[in-house]
Amino acid sequence: MEDVQVVAMLVRRCVAGDAAAWEEIVQTYNRRIYNICYRFAGSANDAEDLTQEVFIKMYRTLTSYDSSKGAFVTWVTTITRNLLVDHFRKTKQDRITDSLDATASSREDAQPLSEQIQDQSAPPDARVRSREVGETVHAALARLSPELREAVILRDLQDFDYREIATVLKVPEGTVKSRINRGRAELARLLQRTYRQVM
Amino acid sequence: MPDHTSNGMQCHEFDGLLSDALDGVLTGLQLDRFQAHVRTCSACGPLFAEVEAGRNWLKDLTEVEPPVSLVNNILASTTGVDTQRLRVNVSAPQPRIGWVERAQAWASGAMQPIWRTVRQPRFAMSFGMAFFSLSVALSVLGVKPADLRQVSLRPAAIRHTYYNTQARVVRYYENIRFVYEVESRVRELKRNVTPTEPRSGEAAPVKKDHKDDTTQQPEQKQERNYSQTDSRIILASAPMGPSVNDLPVVSVTTYRRFV
Repeated sequence: MEDVQVVAMLVRRCVAGDAAAWEEIVQTYNRRIYNICYRFAGSANDAEDLTQEVFIKMYRTLTSYDSSKGAFVTWVTTITRNLLVDHFRKTKQDRITDSLDATASSREDAQPLSEQIQDQSAPPDARVRSREVGETVHAALARLSPELREAVILRDLQDFDYREIATVLKVPEGTVKSRINRGRAELARLLQRTYRQVM
Repeated sequence: MPDHTSNGMQCHEFDGLLSDALDGVLTGLQLDRFQAHVRTCSACGPLFAEVEAGRNWLKDLTEVEPPVSLVNNILASTTGVDTQRLRVNVSAPQPRIGWVERAQAWASGAMQPIWRTVRQPRFAMSFGMAFFSLSVALSVLGVKPADLRQVSLRPAAIRHTYYNTQARVVRYYENIRFVYEVESRVRELKRNVTPTEPRSGEAAPVKKDHKDDTTQQPEQKQERNYSQTDSRIILASAPMGPSVNDLPVVSVTTYRRFV
């Protein structure tokens, strides 16, 4: 996933005060962190704020990174995950599966999940359809419990292996696999139920 | 999940192998047993289908593009420096960091809070005012930067400098126009109040002709008229003339030169 030596050198330079090294780290990891935040928080605005917070925290604690204890990306993802959990606890959006009549976002005028799926076959353009399906799945993903959501995001969207996920989530690998399977099944049930209503 | 055995595999064992099966890492006999369990178990079969469907749904989620301003915002909120400057040589191979560079980096990091404070306009204004005040004070005291090179720290030299400075300060004080005007007024008042001792047979004191007049007026000596001198002598020696006490008091104002 990353060249350990190169990243370790980059971090050493950054700790030594090399601002260009820090910018390189930001350039390399901002996309990954933004996507994790976006999929977990569900909103682009929240994702942007959270990504900035992650990098600020990273910048302050960069000296605590020990390359012998694990990959830099795992360390970065752990910081991201902890911050997301904190954010989740603050906003108290704890839930497992919402009603299909619930809107996909916090906006009152947003379309319910069932209507979003109903519209997905309407546009002829495959790219537009794919984008709308993506938005529907994203909305369904936001309905998963945070434990299942974070495991699914790290595995299926970020391609982490089980050991790395176990390190980030601080749970055994067996628990990680179980959460991933339950998350996928829950997502499928939610989307299939929606599909049946539409059809 | 109900835990029962089907085709030699229990459901909890199936749950443990589910991820590996979807990842395609199961092979041989283990894969055969797993597939057989999926076909025959009423609970695990649908679960496998759901998990597989969920994973396929997630494949529709592509990476989203972060906002264009994100990197700049992050850099501004962390380092607070101009990002354009940092982009130079980012991809260039970096040399090995020596202890000198580390020390410099440490020093710059340690000095950063101080430098940040110094750069504040309030601090700069205070420093400027202090510098100005110090310059004025040194100028008034007659201290010149060139003199500092010749400063000697021998006790005798220090004593000499001390007395020199003291004399200069006293001279400066006494030469202030206001001070010596006040002093002359005081002297005048004292002269008016103190009665002069009458001395019979003594002529009126002749004013000593000093050359300390700085009014740029021609000296009185040049306009001396000896005929007037003669008449003055006559007046002083006239027995019937006014006594010394009756003579009008002439006020004399002396002017000192500025040094």
